[in-house]
Amino acid sequence: MNGGDLLLNCTDMSVLERQRAHLKYLNPSFDSPLAGFFADTSMINGGEMDGFLATAGLNLPMIYGQTTVVGDPRMSISPETTLGTGNFKKRKFDTETKDCNEKKKMVNREEVTEEEEEKSKITELNNGSPKSIKKMKNKAKKEENNCSNDSSKVTKELEKTDYIHVRARRGQATDSHSIAERVRREKISERMKFLQDLVPGCDKITGKAGMLDEIINYVQSLQRQIEFLSMKLAVVNPRPDFDMDDIFAKEVVSTPMTVVPSPEMVHSGYSHEMVNSGYSNEMVNSGYHHFNPMQQVETSSDPLSYFNNGQPPSMWHSDVQNLYGSLGV
Amino acid sequence: MASADKLINTDVPEKDVFALHFLQSLSNLKTQNPLNSPAKSIDRVRKIKKAAYVSMARAAGGTSRLWSRALLRRAAKDDNKSVRFSRRKRKVTWKISSKRRKSNNQRAPVVEEAAERLRNLVPGGGGMETSKLMEETAHYIKCLSMQVKVMQCLVDGLSQK
Repeated sequence: MNGGDLLLNCTDMSVLERQRAHLKYLNPSFDSPLAGFFADTSMINGGEMDGFLATAGLNLPMIYGQTTVVGDPRMSISPETTLGTGNFKKRKFDTETKDCNEKKKMVNREEVTEEEEEKSKITELNNGSPKSIKKMKNKAKKEENNCSNDSSKVTKELEKTDYIHVRARRGQATDSHSIAERVRREKISERMKFLQDLVPGCDKITGKAGMLDEIINYVQSLQRQIEFLSMKLAVVNPRPDFDMDDIFAKEVVSTPMTVVPSPEMVHSGYSHEMVNSGYSNEMVNSGYHHFNPMQQVETSSDPLSYFNNGQPPSMWHSDVQNLYGSLGV
Repeated sequence: MASADKLINTDVPEKDVFALHFLQSLSNLKTQNPLNSPAKSIDRVRKIKKAAYVSMARAAGGTSRLWSRALLRRAAKDDNKSVRFSRRKRKVTWKISSKRRKSNNQRAPVVEEAAERLRNLVPGGGGMETSKLMEETAHYIKCLSMQVKVMQCLVDGLSQK
């Protein structure tokens, strides 16, 4: 898990290839006037780039012979090419750090094309190598460049997180189906871990099947509990001649209120709360205070605090009646 | 995997939000169905249960979650109301064909079979991909346990009297 192999998205790569080829064919003259400028940038970026270039230029064509053939701009649009370059990249850069990988992948198109131009110029300046080698170096340099690029690009790239990050370890299959399947399995197991924390007693079980069984049992037990509790609630029912106004009348007698609260007020308070999506404790409580404003001073008098504390407050008895009012089903 | 870490967000609102919604739907039940009308106890149980689930779905963020969407939609269907939620998603059912089932069986037979059972439990689970199903299940479990706590409090408080 700590390695950091990289497999570029196939579609991503094909886009790169296509644009590179496009640029090369459409405006080849574009390279020359800006060449001096880009030479400077290569100097600014430091010797690491040049060193890297040199090694890449020497080694790449020998080692990755078949890839250089594949990297030919005329063939680069075909899917086999993208696959080949993907493989190449994976092998080449599997020691790079993870955040570098992320940055690399999330370059948007404009930046890619710019950098592409930059690199092609730099390579032309540095050594007049054949086109295929240049292409390989371009790719290599792009990776390098992306790793050490400026912060504005990084922030931009971090916004575009819709690429799937995959890494293939040594010996793992690298075709797109296997990658997708691996991503899927990783997602599932990660969520399973998440669920494991939620379900009590699930952490002792090893194996996905057992865990899933436990989760299913837990959900079922919760659903049954709700059914049971609603049965209980139906049994705990007020008398048939039970009148809500009685309770509120009693409430008025016990606490000298000037405004007689009505059930409509309660309902309106509730529905008002329903509209708001951002709930807070205060809002909820204020909604409740609509109909017992005299008890605002005592915090424990709020019936909803019962749900917070878990312990019935002393004023609970009178408030049960309030609950009863809305409970009479 | 760095990409998936941030995706899991199963925060649920406070307990009193659930309580509030539940009480409100109960009081709605009462206004729909006055006390003096003779209702069978089984019917009442069913209605309270439905109120519990619907209020839970509302408290858990309305239509923002797949399971709560499915629950509310089902409830609305029961009421013969045609409710159209905003931002409808394309309906996809993950009916596993016999061919696919075979390949799944080769892969992980028990896991897929258990996930299938879980799909039947979580509302709206039939249209979910497995990893999404896990995420929704996590949220659903949180909300269910919250609702159970709220109802337990209510029952305790009422039986004290």
